[in-house]
Amino acid sequence: MLDWKAERGAGEPYPGYDVLAKWRSPSWNDKTREVVAARLKAADEPRFFTREEFETLIAVADRILPQPAPRPPIPVAALLDQKLQDGVMDGYRAASLPRDGEAWRRGLRALDAEARARHDHGFAKIVESDRDDLLRCCEAGELKSPAWDGMPSQTFFKHRLLRDLVLAYYCHPISWSEIGWGGPASPRGYVRLDFNDRDPWEAAEAKPGHEADALRVNRNVR
Amino acid sequence: MERALGAPKVAGSKGERARAVQSASRSRWGETETVMAARRLNRAAGTLAASVLVDSAVEHYRGSFKNKAMFTPLVVAGLTLAMSLHGTADMRPVAHRARDTSYLLAAATGLLGTGFHIYNVTKKVGGLSWQNVFYGAPLGAPMAILLSGLLGFCSERVRANGRQRPRRVFNLPAGETVATVTALGLLGTTGEAGLLHFRGAFHNPFMAVPVTLPPIGAGLLAGAVLNGGGRTRRLARRWMRLLTAMGFIGVGFHAYGVSRNMGGWRNWSQNILDGPPLPAPPSFAGLALAGLASLELMREARDA
Amino acid sequence: MSDDPRHAPRARHGRAPDVFRPGGWVSMKEYADHETVDFVIVGTGAGGATLACKLAEYGFSVVALDAGPYFRPLEDFASDESEQTKLYWTDDRIVDGDNPLQLGSNNSGKAVGGSTVHFAMVSLRFRPEWFKARTKLGYGADWPIDWREMWAYYTEVEQALKISGPVNYPWGPPRPRYPYRAHPLNAAARALARGCEALGIGWTETPLATLSAPRGLAHPCVYRGFCVTGCSTNAKQSALVTWIPRALSAGAEIRDLAMVGRIETDANGLAAGVHYHRQSKWHFQKARNVVVAGYAIETPRLLLNSANDKFPDGLANSSGLVGKNLMAQANQAVWGEMDEEVRSYKGPPSLAITEHWNYEDEGKDFFGGYAYMSQGPLPQLWANTQATAHGLWGARLVEEMKRYNHVVGLKIVGEMLPQEHNRVTLADELDQYGLRIPRVTYSWCDNDKRLIDHSIAFMSRALGAIGTKNIWVQEDDTCHLNGTARMGDRPDSSVVNADCRSWDIPNLWICDGSVFPTVGGANPSLTIQAIACRTADRIRTLSRLGEIRLN
Repeated sequence: MLDWKAERGAGEPYPGYDVLAKWRSPSWNDKTREVVAARLKAADEPRFFTREEFETLIAVADRILPQPAPRPPIPVAALLDQKLQDGVMDGYRAASLPRDGEAWRRGLRALDAEARARHDHGFAKIVESDRDDLLRCCEAGELKSPAWDGMPSQTFFKHRLLRDLVLAYYCHPISWSEIGWGGPASPRGYVRLDFNDRDPWEAAEAKPGHEADALRVNRNVR
Repeated sequence: MERALGAPKVAGSKGERARAVQSASRSRWGETETVMAARRLNRAAGTLAASVLVDSAVEHYRGSFKNKAMFTPLVVAGLTLAMSLHGTADMRPVAHRARDTSYLLAAATGLLGTGFHIYNVTKKVGGLSWQNVFYGAPLGAPMAILLSGLLGFCSERVRANGRQRPRRVFNLPAGETVATVTALGLLGTTGEAGLLHFRGAFHNPFMAVPVTLPPIGAGLLAGAVLNGGGRTRRLARRWMRLLTAMGFIGVGFHAYGVSRNMGGWRNWSQNILDGPPLPAPPSFAGLALAGLASLELMREARDA
Repeated sequence: MSDDPRHAPRARHGRAPDVFRPGGWVSMKEYADHETVDFVIVGTGAGGATLACKLAEYGFSVVALDAGPYFRPLEDFASDESEQTKLYWTDDRIVDGDNPLQLGSNNSGKAVGGSTVHFAMVSLRFRPEWFKARTKLGYGADWPIDWREMWAYYTEVEQALKISGPVNYPWGPPRPRYPYRAHPLNAAARALARGCEALGIGWTETPLATLSAPRGLAHPCVYRGFCVTGCSTNAKQSALVTWIPRALSAGAEIRDLAMVGRIETDANGLAAGVHYHRQSKWHFQKARNVVVAGYAIETPRLLLNSANDKFPDGLANSSGLVGKNLMAQANQAVWGEMDEEVRSYKGPPSLAITEHWNYEDEGKDFFGGYAYMSQGPLPQLWANTQATAHGLWGARLVEEMKRYNHVVGLKIVGEMLPQEHNRVTLADELDQYGLRIPRVTYSWCDNDKRLIDHSIAFMSRALGAIGTKNIWVQEDDTCHLNGTARMGDRPDSSVVNADCRSWDIPNLWICDGSVFPTVGGANPSLTIQAIACRTADRIRTLSRLGEIRLN
């Protein structure tokens, strides 16, 4: 079940660390287990987006947050779809942006239209370097096809696209393990707070030449 | 009652204990009296050592044993505890070289540890500030092992007196000397409890108890040394018994404190460390036992 | 039926949630809509909850309404940033201006207890001179309150919240000892301290509204680090676990999931009560006095949305100042990496502070001041900062995030000056209740920019002095919202008087951060609560003099 973890290690700062190993520990309370369990069951099929929009979204997310091969990917697009379906919003928007869901639909359609105009293929079908170029143009506010319908691509990129995708990626336990964060912490918090201090239920960082030590420690983090 | 309390808890058989009690009541001037007094001091030193052993184990585990020297108090307190058990059980009227060495080692560890702890506190940003005194290495803690060593060493000196009267340590009257050391120890330990209870904002009224009763006890011991009247000694004796009880009841209060933190005992891996220290209060008991021993020595010397 | 407090109100049928016991209840007095209560209070945050508690304790009949749910932190709060956005005010709002504000997290709350449920607990007193900023320091506006009076109310609030603070506070006039001791510093806080010592300025432990020792049924802090996403241990002394339980036991009623849409005025031009939406219906609560405590966006929004024939520009707005002089606080940061593991996710985020530049005026080319504090962003917040403020995405972002445990940062709370064109107005779009949504317009002035530049340069030096690498600057962030209904000495230049009482409608009061004429360089919550305590005392005094409508 966790085979991919065995391959992890080389170059990873926290080899073998899995925040989910603490699921039954005092670091996780019932409410946390409930909301993370729901998140881990994110559906593969879009409910908010259309199939086409969703494929574009997957292709965008893949460039904003590229994921290493050996481990299962974080379903960034599905998590965002779920959030928009649930109507969870930021609560503010630039005057030039429509509400969150509408901004996303329009933005994805516009990115797809820009890709077709330049490469004769939809965004999901063009090569990675072309996708990156297009996203950089979006970031710089250089995309102005009619499909944007007055929405500045720069504002959409910074306040919707980048923000929402990043939040989706870093709401997932796999990303927490990747960066060596302690993860959920209630009722048990932390005791050792000073520089280079680590509680036994925190990730150990691999120091050069001592990666195996970190791996061994991290497998026992509970 | 007094003798029951004074009897060696750790001595081997019931018969042995009964013999000790009998012989103590039989022979006021004999060697057995001397040995009894010494054993009381061994027991006091052992109680302190036990407190230090567990306390330093917990606190240094919290400190992740980052410095290998942090194992020292565990080893030394463990040894001191073993020697004190040995001494408490030992009925012979002669000092024991291994115990002596061990007690001196404990005293030296206390001094060195204090130095280490001062270094730890002062090297932190902010230096000798409330923050670092509250949360850095506790400055007073190593003094407990120093006291344990001193009391143990005194016990060996007392024991070596044999039939000689009045009993002396370091060429000073034994009872008065031990009483003075104990009184100072009580004041120091009160200081530490006061500091940590101040850190806890005295949020529970009972937190005032260990900063109120022990200084009075120290005063009574001082009174017993200075004026030597029987009434003062008797009051002091009762007070020492009260402090002994307080030391053990304090563990109960601290256990309640642990249960009261977030997650209670289920979150023991945090709350044992962040909650009130379970092994700390018995250090008062250890000192109070030494106080009792000193009062007994003074009584024997003065009633003679 | 679902027990989700976001779907159905909990405070009903004579009981309210017991915030200290999972599934528990406490009894609550209830008033019928047609019963005229002495005070109906709109909002239960730092201003509203404090006032509700104090007025109820003084014997007035009080109903306090909040648009948000009534949580029991022990069972309702997850250790999860995404889930806990449920504490934020995320209704539709439009932001514009040269420097549009980011709303929805560090400057709003939608819950009983308001944004104190997820505030960073930093509990600072204002510098005394700030209460006379115009006269003594030459900028902004004077407050109609003397600092010495505020000093006493600060003490009251610090005691009520059992603030954990340093034994001696290094700046300002003497203050009584904080009731609880300061928390242990984490590495991020020690980094701040090292930087201050390297540059020769003072620092101290931040006075925080989170317990360093038990208090009643509330647990002390376990240093879990989720403070700004909601404290699940009740260590945080939010209005939800302090003023509101007190208010309930003194006989106040709290109505959760009750969104006030309009204040009604009667033929005499006095406030008659409030229309509020609860359980899919509009209700009307009659009251002899109405207090608006919705914070600096919802307060002016409600006053403006309550416009009627008699008050066509909105209530309490004869000065035309309702919604104007909105003041955020600058929240710029400098970030970098240390060789050591910092793991700033442990403990409250801002354990150490320097108020040096609040109290030192030498060497400034700007008006006002700033404090800066250590930081402890959780992963989502940190990733969003790296993406939107640092501009990272793709492999660079993912790799940079792996340095998370080495990150150290310093962030200011900086004074911004009041400007009339920074304001809250009504947009034409409607929200889920059919109410016009607010438009929030914000632009920095030159003084704001000079303050920010000064702080960034100084904090960069501080981080550099302790060997921090890869230092970068987060230039665009703000926190807190104040102004929009300022207090003052004159009806033509302020919305309320020193007692938070409207000049125009004598039984309409405003009691929250909106009344601030200036913001200073300190987090506002303690001052909001101190003002509420003062307002309660003034109301009691005025009622004894027969100067308050009570029949």
